Amino acid sequence: MFDQYEADGLFDEMFEAPGRPRPHYSAVASRLKSLGPAAFNKRVRMADVTFRNQGITFTVYNDQRGVEKIFPFDLMPRIVPANEWDIIERGLVQRITALNLFCQDIYHDQRILRENVVPPELIYGAKMFRREMFHVNVPRNIYIHICGTDLVRDKNGTYLVLEDNGRTPSGVSYVLENRSVMKRVFPSLFGAYHVRAIEDYPYNLLQCLKHVTPQRSDDPSIAVLTPGIYNSAYFEHSFLARQMGVELVEARDLIVDNAYVYMRTTAGLRRVDVIYRRVDDDFLDPLCFRSESILGVAGLMNAYRCGNVALVNAPGTGVADDKAIYPFVPDMIKFYMGQDAILPNVKTYICARESDRKYVLENLDKLVVKSTNESGGYGMLMGHQATNEERQIFAGKIMEDPRNFIAQPVVELSQHPSFIDDRFQGRRIDLRPYILYGEKVIVMPGGLTRVALRSGSLVVNSSQGGGSKDTWVLEEEQ
Amino acid sequence: MSTISLPAIPKFSVHVPSRPMMARDADSMFWTSRYIERAEHVARLLLVNANLLIDVGDLAPKLLSQHWQSVLTIMRTEPPAGGVEGTKDMGARIAHYMTFDRDNANSLLTCVSRARENARGIRENISAEMWEALNTLYWSIRGDDAPSRFEESPDDFYRQLMTGSMLFQGLTDQTLDHDQRWLFTQVAKYLERIDVTCRVIETKYNILQSGAGQMDAALKNIQWMAVLRSCCSIEAYRRHHLGEMDPLRVATFLVLERNFPRSVRYAVGMAREALCSIRNETSGLAIDPAERLLGRLNAQLEYAEPSEVMKEGIPTYVQKIQAQVAEAGLEVQKRYFLY
Repeated sequence: MFDQYEADGLFDEMFEAPGRPRPHYSAVASRLKSLGPAAFNKRVRMADVTFRNQGITFTVYNDQRGVEKIFPFDLMPRIVPANEWDIIERGLVQRITALNLFCQDIYHDQRILRENVVPPELIYGAKMFRREMFHVNVPRNIYIHICGTDLVRDKNGTYLVLEDNGRTPSGVSYVLENRSVMKRVFPSLFGAYHVRAIEDYPYNLLQCLKHVTPQRSDDPSIAVLTPGIYNSAYFEHSFLARQMGVELVEARDLIVDNAYVYMRTTAGLRRVDVIYRRVDDDFLDPLCFRSESILGVAGLMNAYRCGNVALVNAPGTGVADDKAIYPFVPDMIKFYMGQDAILPNVKTYICARESDRKYVLENLDKLVVKSTNESGGYGMLMGHQATNEERQIFAGKIMEDPRNFIAQPVVELSQHPSFIDDRFQGRRIDLRPYILYGEKVIVMPGGLTRVALRSGSLVVNSSQGGGSKDTWVLEEEQ
Repeated sequence: MSTISLPAIPKFSVHVPSRPMMARDADSMFWTSRYIERAEHVARLLLVNANLLIDVGDLAPKLLSQHWQSVLTIMRTEPPAGGVEGTKDMGARIAHYMTFDRDNANSLLTCVSRARENARGIRENISAEMWEALNTLYWSIRGDDAPSRFEESPDDFYRQLMTGSMLFQGLTDQTLDHDQRWLFTQVAKYLERIDVTCRVIETKYNILQSGAGQMDAALKNIQWMAVLRSCCSIEAYRRHHLGEMDPLRVATFLVLERNFPRSVRYAVGMAREALCSIRNETSGLAIDPAERLLGRLNAQLEYAEPSEVMKEGIPTYVQKIQAQVAEAGLEVQKRYFLY
């Protein structure tokens, strides 16, 4: 099954040399070799039926009916040994701590701006900077409770941070469902390893939400706020509400009265203490943000400012995961914590800086250009693959609004075997672990490994034809 | 001697007051349950008709076309564009229209899709088992292989749908807290059952009366058996009346029988009880209008005599029930869902 497998000069997660798997993959390799393509395909079908019958789908609207698709799942697990995970974990704890200190600082004293570590114009020019949050004391001083940080590995196998998602990172439900399906269809594969459990994530998330309850109550009322069933991540919203045993609400279920938030029940109004909101800042409160929006809960921000309800994550955290602020995260770590960043960044050119911009425009064919406020693989230019015309158009956009763009050298992502057309082929992957900031910081041992299923593609986003894998973090060997 | 310290026992109450339910969730719960019950009735009506075709198809073609038409009447459904009257393959057309037509509000496909859409909005309120059963049911009619399985054996197809729907109801009973969420599914299920059962009696009675003169006894018996089959009641009826088959017996059995879960009276009693429990949970002391309507109806059915039914005429009797139940349904919406 691995006979024609090639590494193409990339970092391969599984093989250190052709035909020689790394030690932590050897058990999987020998097991799969004895299995054969027919048996493997049978398990792929089993997994697909499970996903379909459990409704683990996302909706693609290319016609009136809406087509429900399964998020493609690649049964070949990605394995991270304990020593590598140790670095990742420490690096992520450090990073979320610094990002929270940064938010607290930006919305209060702004020391980091006064001391010229971060240029103020980048902050004030950030689309996601919320003046409404200025001098608001948020519960327990936590802004980013849940963070999904995207990691990639370069040609040498070094883990790099590609970006932070500090607003409403999604995908964790797929991590949990992938694991449960994997256990169903490939139980024998787990036998050879001590894989760390991830099933306590919903519990930890709930503790994290309880931690910010405004009134110290044993029985806080907690709700997950969703835009509704037509949102592409609806499955996840409902999944998390169910796993935690809390209500799933839409904005129309909530009402603010006298600076308290209530939900409408069959027995009248009931107070809500903590809202895990999965809607963007823009659609939280029409009185505060978009006045033309019919979404949102009028008066919610006022209740929040009065300290009568906790919002998770806090509004305004977009200032910390802005792609033009991202290059300064190592400086933040130094500034607030006096430490060096454990996980390095990818070299980034900020188009708002004149020298950087000049370099970017001259080297468009070697760079990846990203819009600072887009996600999901939209608004991007892969310079080395683009046509001359596409590059010209992008150069125009950059000159028109330089603040909106950054550029990075192409990172040759590491590859991992994926089962495609009856054999294993190398495909690029990344990793999004999830970090919870509550009473203490908890990094889920695992995460969403996304795969670019198209051969040679570097884009792993699900909206761009990506799939996912189960991610196994191994226990320390005794 | 050292003392062994006992672990501290956390203090909590086993009996916590049940959680209030979101009005929108209650609404979706209600309609999920109602559409599932409806799908089951539609599937059964179509199945019984397909079998009737085998029994009497050549004997009474006119009657048969009336029976197909009656499926539409019972489900209060407009005929498909272009009409069905007089066409040769009328049965097949109506069967297809009531099974797969996306624009028909009462087709099986629409009922199951709506049930699922409603359930999708309250995933966190229903059990994983319920959701998986509903989803499997949905794909069995929405999947690419559904039309070919239908062609192969409509009988199997409808049976699968009926079992799927009953499986969902069974799982609702056995995997869900019997709190408000469950109570709303009960109200919905029984209201739908009362409505369809009354419509079946009314519509079929009219058909059979109009053609009564020309029918021999054997044919009549087959017809009334089909009515009972449409209400999933043939076996229970036989045990009660030992094979005696006449309109009044059939109607009174379907309407007044005390312990049979398919009878109108049983359903009214259960719906009323569920509403009463909902009122208790939502801490209202005042009886709400829906409960009052059903309570009165319950009393009326409890003390009714077959002669009363006869005096009023079977169609009129069940029409009145339908009207009261429809009003009760609206009152439930007004009281609990509209916010």
